[in-house]
Amino acid sequence: MIIVIIILVVIFLIGIFFYNLLIAKKNQVINAFSAIDVMLKKRFDLIPNLVEVVKQYTNYEQGTLTKIVELRSRATSGNISNAEKAELDAQLSSSVKGLMVNIENYPDLKSNTNFINLQSTWTESEEQIAAARRTYNSAVTDYNNSIMMFPGSLFAGMLNFQPIAVLETAAEERKNISAKELFNN
Amino acid sequence: MALGIESNTALQQVLAGMEDQRKNIASGQKKGYLFIAGGVAILILSFVLGFPIPGFIGIVALGIFGGIKLSSAYSEQSIYRNQYKRDVIGAALKFLDQSLTITPNSGIGEHEFRHCQLFNTDPDRYSTEDLVTGTAGKTDFYFAEVHAEYKTVTQTKNGTRTEWHEIFKGIIFVADFNKNFNGVTVVRPKDFGAALGAWFSKNVFSFGGNDVVKLENTDFDKTFVTHGSDQVEARYILTPVMMERILNLNHQSKYTISLSFIGSRMYIAFPLERNYFEAPVFKSLLDPTIMDEDITVIKFMYDIVKELDLNTRIWGKA
Repeated sequence: MIIVIIILVVIFLIGIFFYNLLIAKKNQVINAFSAIDVMLKKRFDLIPNLVEVVKQYTNYEQGTLTKIVELRSRATSGNISNAEKAELDAQLSSSVKGLMVNIENYPDLKSNTNFINLQSTWTESEEQIAAARRTYNSAVTDYNNSIMMFPGSLFAGMLNFQPIAVLETAAEERKNISAKELFNN
Repeated sequence: MALGIESNTALQQVLAGMEDQRKNIASGQKKGYLFIAGGVAILILSFVLGFPIPGFIGIVALGIFGGIKLSSAYSEQSIYRNQYKRDVIGAALKFLDQSLTITPNSGIGEHEFRHCQLFNTDPDRYSTEDLVTGTAGKTDFYFAEVHAEYKTVTQTKNGTRTEWHEIFKGIIFVADFNKNFNGVTVVRPKDFGAALGAWFSKNVFSFGGNDVVKLENTDFDKTFVTHGSDQVEARYILTPVMMERILNLNHQSKYTISLSFIGSRMYIAFPLERNYFEAPVFKSLLDPTIMDEDITVIKFMYDIVKELDLNTRIWGKA
């Protein structure tokens, strides 16, 4: 009888241990996602300044600027899903990249200190977002491994832990940002 | 020679001038040891022949004479050694890049060694020399030879026994990193202990401080264990391209390197077996291959900035 009780207590304790482990890993995933969110917000905050500076020097990029402003306001409107936000960010990122390439035609703008600062802050934020996404994917993989591998899979099944999909990395994010490619310096 | 410096006439003149000095030191040392050896031989012979008194007189006289010779040769060698570093190694450095300078008696301080967190153990005995500083493109860097050891004291039947163990012997390279960061990221070789510690802190219990950062590059993850105070920041520093570059750098080193990123600088430790930038005593200075290994090391250190692309400064850091 005592042996049965001991076995039950041990199973119960192991159960608690795995439950806490899975919760901790799931929280890591949530935490990692919020890091991406913070980085995205930081990047969205750069847009108004960027638009202002570019506006002063160019008359021909109005279309791109309007598109960027519109994408930003949609991305920060608050009532969109995470997936939509990521999608808007990808569009925004490629529009800004296009703008940066076109700026080659405006030597005055190119040498403007504010613009140069914005450019480097932008590239910094690009790479920080890439790092945050990689952190998120690493946390997701870790969590998925825990719920799919034995013995975690036993508890995950009982407690209804579901696998989470990793974020697809955009092709541009896989390679490092090259100053030459971006700004043709 | 790797740089073609052998054709530099000014350096050749310096070397030719120092060659006489070297011969003097070499012959002084040889004579000193010969006198001492002669004294020992006389002592043994006198014991064998049964006249120990002349033997004692012989060893004392020859020993004193040999000792004086040796001490004067060694004191001359220390001047010669410094002159070699300053004039010969210094010239080779200038030949590679005007910004490079060597300070033979300086190095990377013990405080900085502890601060850079490259190694877990704090040293009990620490020495450093041959500080080389310079700038490659936009990046300031310096490196120096470092030897750090810790001691263990064990109780034996006859009292205590102190043993010295090596923490690190080699060159530590420090460069201004091209990105801003606030935390600490440390990349250490993955030996058994490190792998076990990493598994434990990841799966069972973290001891606080710097957590393991699991990176996507499997080769990198097999070679190194990465710890970081901030998971996102560690990946911001160790981008996929940076990991490849670090692996390349590591392939060029015989022993696995360690890296740390702290206080806006990057530190790299290269374990090495020998002491570099030392003047030869029993080998001619006029031998054209005499500086080959030193120059290879200098060039290797200088090229790290290029190899790791530290001159690309587009991330908001001047």
